[in-house]
Amino acid sequence: MKRKGTFLRTLGVTSVALASLTMMTTSGGASSNGGIAKGAPVTIGISLSLSGDFSADGNAFKQGYELWAASVNAHGGLLGHHVNLNIKNDASTVPQAITNYQSLISLNHVNLTFGPFSSLLSLPAGKAVGRYGYAMIEGAGGAPSVFQAGLHNLFDVSMPVKDALVPFAQWIASLPASKRPTTAAYVTTNDAFTEPQIPVAKKIISAAGVKTSYYSVFPAETTDYTPIADAVAAAKAQIVILGSVDVPTVSAFMQAFEQAHYSPKVFIATGGPDQGSAFTSVVGLKNADGMMVPNAWYGSATTPGSAAMVAAYVKKFGGSASTISADVAEAYSVGQVAAEAVIATKGFDNAKIIRYLHSATGLSTVQGPVKFNALGENNSSTGFTFQWQGKHFVQVNPVKDKGSKPVLFPKPVWGS
Amino acid sequence: MSKLKPSLWTLALVVFAIFPLIVTNPTFTTIAVFTLLFMACTTSWNMFSGYSGYVSLGSAIFYGCGAYTMALVSTHAHMAGGEAQFWLVPLAGLVAMVVAIPVGAVALRVRRHTFVVITIALFFVFQLLAINFSFTGGAAGISLPLIPWLFNYYNLPFYYVALGLVIFATLLSAGVRRSRFGLQLLAIRDDEDRALGLGVRVTAVKLTGFTMSAFTIGMAGALYAMFIGQIYPQFVFDPTFDITVALMAFFGGFGTLLGPLLGGLILESSQQYLTLTFTNGSLYLILFGVLFLLVILFMPQGIVVRVSQLWAQRNRRRETPLTPDAVAAMGVGH
Amino acid sequence: MNSSALIHALLDGVLTGSLYALMATGLTLIFGVMNIINIAQGILVILGAYLSYTLSVHFGIDLFAGLVITIPTLFLVGIVVERLFMARLKEPERTSMSILVTYAVALIIEGGLNMIYSINIVQLGAWYVDRSFRIFGLWIPYIYMFGFFLAVALLGALYFMLYRTRFGASIRASMADQTAAALIGINVKRVSTICFGLGVAVTAAGGMVYGATNAFNASTSYDLISRLLTIIVLGGMGSLGGALLAAIFMVTLGDVIAVVWSPIWSTPTFFFVLVIVLSLRPQGLFGKQSTRVA
Repeated sequence: MKRKGTFLRTLGVTSVALASLTMMTTSGGASSNGGIAKGAPVTIGISLSLSGDFSADGNAFKQGYELWAASVNAHGGLLGHHVNLNIKNDASTVPQAITNYQSLISLNHVNLTFGPFSSLLSLPAGKAVGRYGYAMIEGAGGAPSVFQAGLHNLFDVSMPVKDALVPFAQWIASLPASKRPTTAAYVTTNDAFTEPQIPVAKKIISAAGVKTSYYSVFPAETTDYTPIADAVAAAKAQIVILGSVDVPTVSAFMQAFEQAHYSPKVFIATGGPDQGSAFTSVVGLKNADGMMVPNAWYGSATTPGSAAMVAAYVKKFGGSASTISADVAEAYSVGQVAAEAVIATKGFDNAKIIRYLHSATGLSTVQGPVKFNALGENNSSTGFTFQWQGKHFVQVNPVKDKGSKPVLFPKPVWGS
Repeated sequence: MSKLKPSLWTLALVVFAIFPLIVTNPTFTTIAVFTLLFMACTTSWNMFSGYSGYVSLGSAIFYGCGAYTMALVSTHAHMAGGEAQFWLVPLAGLVAMVVAIPVGAVALRVRRHTFVVITIALFFVFQLLAINFSFTGGAAGISLPLIPWLFNYYNLPFYYVALGLVIFATLLSAGVRRSRFGLQLLAIRDDEDRALGLGVRVTAVKLTGFTMSAFTIGMAGALYAMFIGQIYPQFVFDPTFDITVALMAFFGGFGTLLGPLLGGLILESSQQYLTLTFTNGSLYLILFGVLFLLVILFMPQGIVVRVSQLWAQRNRRRETPLTPDAVAAMGVGH
Repeated sequence: MNSSALIHALLDGVLTGSLYALMATGLTLIFGVMNIINIAQGILVILGAYLSYTLSVHFGIDLFAGLVITIPTLFLVGIVVERLFMARLKEPERTSMSILVTYAVALIIEGGLNMIYSINIVQLGAWYVDRSFRIFGLWIPYIYMFGFFLAVALLGALYFMLYRTRFGASIRASMADQTAAALIGINVKRVSTICFGLGVAVTAAGGMVYGATNAFNASTSYDLISRLLTIIVLGGMGSLGGALLAAIFMVTLGDVIAVVWSPIWSTPTFFFVLVIVLSLRPQGLFGKQSTRVA
């Protein structure tokens, strides 16, 4: 019949398709060197979770990165080059994050790459950009599993999470026996970020003679926390240590405790209360009063650059020092470390930057000093504990630190 | 009915084979690898669900088992990252098959509508086990050995192995289609009770089909784990994977051979590309949903079936109309 | 493990279970009459929650009073969705197609909600959300009690309509046998449309109570829909009584396991039980025995 015609036609269509595909191609070269024309802008490629599970934190990170870029550009740019940020959305999924970074490097030819949000994404992203010789400087991948992979190009500027509760635990242990609480409840979600923190704290607190009246791990996908919170309330412990990663979890526990008329003397959550207004708008300031959380930064920090960052944030997004999420500072610190590396190596050569970061001392960020070990961990940072007191978010631990205020202890009863 | 001539299949094969040599940018080959993996999974899924009518929404069970096999063996055997790991891929497929046997034995006892939901339930059991058992690394997942290939070479081996999986899945599916076994599956889809009455060993047939489809899906999972270098329980046991695989098959043409391939090709590559281009996550969701809806409503049996219907209509219109003279000229009639 | 914690878990289970029963009932009703699995039910619950949120935060209307607006609104949404999309589904693979179509609709609604409300987590608030009252030595949050009464009232109204009104009889007839119902003069199309609307309307109430007891945003819908689906399968797809029992059973079992053993095993235990029940009774607890496969 029309066999020949069909075949030729298909061949024609396919050739056109191939030709257009070829035109779409750019060679996959990644320029890892620093040769940039004078006055030309530099671009930093970032994949963030702007939708999906991590979207709240992803958006806070975006704010931090943008504030940093604005601050650098206001001071003449990085080595005289204007800084542009190319931020792509990975919808909180791994394959998209990988595709994003590949695209940023090989299609958009970015000069540097900054990290995504969360340990889950940082590690695969680090491996992907490592193949191009790029450094992965990030601020949100601090779970022990990230460092166990032994990536040479990955640097986490934030405090490794394992010891986040140590200042708090030491404060409890340091209380005189007459004032120290006698029982503690530990409850955590089974997440790579929270789970490692609990045993470390428990060891210190138990050694001080505080009995464990409840210990439980609950699934990350729980939506109804009431039965678990009721069980914690029934244990009537004086301290509650909650391993949480987000505001909804903390809020659910707080609500369930209030309904059960159970008010612990001390209540600390590993994540959630450090998200500023995102936290207080859900639980209410009255209930937030007395809630504690470990982190490396807060709005009134006096570390270099912090006050300026807070001022810029309030100017651009409104609010006050206490309403700023700690994620913003983490992202900002990533930028600061990268800037210091660029200036020290006088260029944007990733190989030189990686070498420099492994040996550098004296790096400083809004979260405090930074020094990386061979695994990319920042073991020079100090952890703090913060607490909501009235409208303010203040530093309370380590007790001996001059920035620490007295702990509001015991925690006020709910809603009062 | 095989709709495409063999020459077109060969042409497609050639195009796929030379694609990464022409389009060398790693971004596109990365999207291509993910796309091929989905194409293999969808074809394999369709080989059971499409032919038997038992829609399974638990294929992520096998994907996850395959991924964990690759990860656990790679790390416990202290393998160096690289070619040697490819040998684990068929092993992962076998593990997935072995897992499919008890899963299928339980799930296939029920009829179709319940089957859909019981596969979802079984999937969640596996996901929870993966998160909570320590030998699976728990919530922290498992990091695979670092593969020392450079960026411009890295994707190529994965691309070709994934392509091999697609070819394997397609040939297997076509083979089943033409075999007596395939006819039995189709009979079950059309009317299970009648098939039973006609002597088809329904339970054995269903279980065999289910287990066979798990093989390729497990292999795809293993390849995925190796490609990314890191697995987490909630990402390899991912409920959206279940739905996506089924959707791709329906989109392209439920029960056809070309359909799942087309569905996987179009949906995965466009989804990755759209997310790459549109930073606004909500807009992308709406666009994707609308596109989906339009296709489902106007091409409810999938693209392949609709296109072939349109093609057949067009051919019919070109034929000579049946007038009495024409019929008489044909020498037929009264 | 003390007994008051156990009793508390049982009580929590019944109260919260009634809420899930309300949402699942809509789902099973739709399936029973139309053979459609409405995957969008989860996001519609969230839509109901967001509507209550807007009424409460922007107009100061009380959550329960606002139901007078949200229930009819969602009823209309259901009717529109049914007319636009469900009615077009043809018989071959109708149920499987409905999964796809409703999934697409759910994606669109999710995207829309994200655009309007952003991805920030919110929770409905009112005086009865945080306070509780004491009974038999246990503290019961007011919202749970009110939610329970609401669920009972709505379910009761639904049952009354189904078993005591003529319209309800035509619904039950359509559920039993669509062809026969059409033959005796029932307008099956109209019944289907209204049923879909009803099934969606109850999500307004469910959504309000859910939003008051859980912090949520659009992506919370995924977990919701998988729970609702497993509830109706356990109860028997198409059986309202089954949905009620299965919902209470699922939530109570989860709560008790959390107290007695560990929260980690709440969900796996439930799925395990589901699998066993389905192996022995494939049609679920009260489902119809399927003779010819649809």
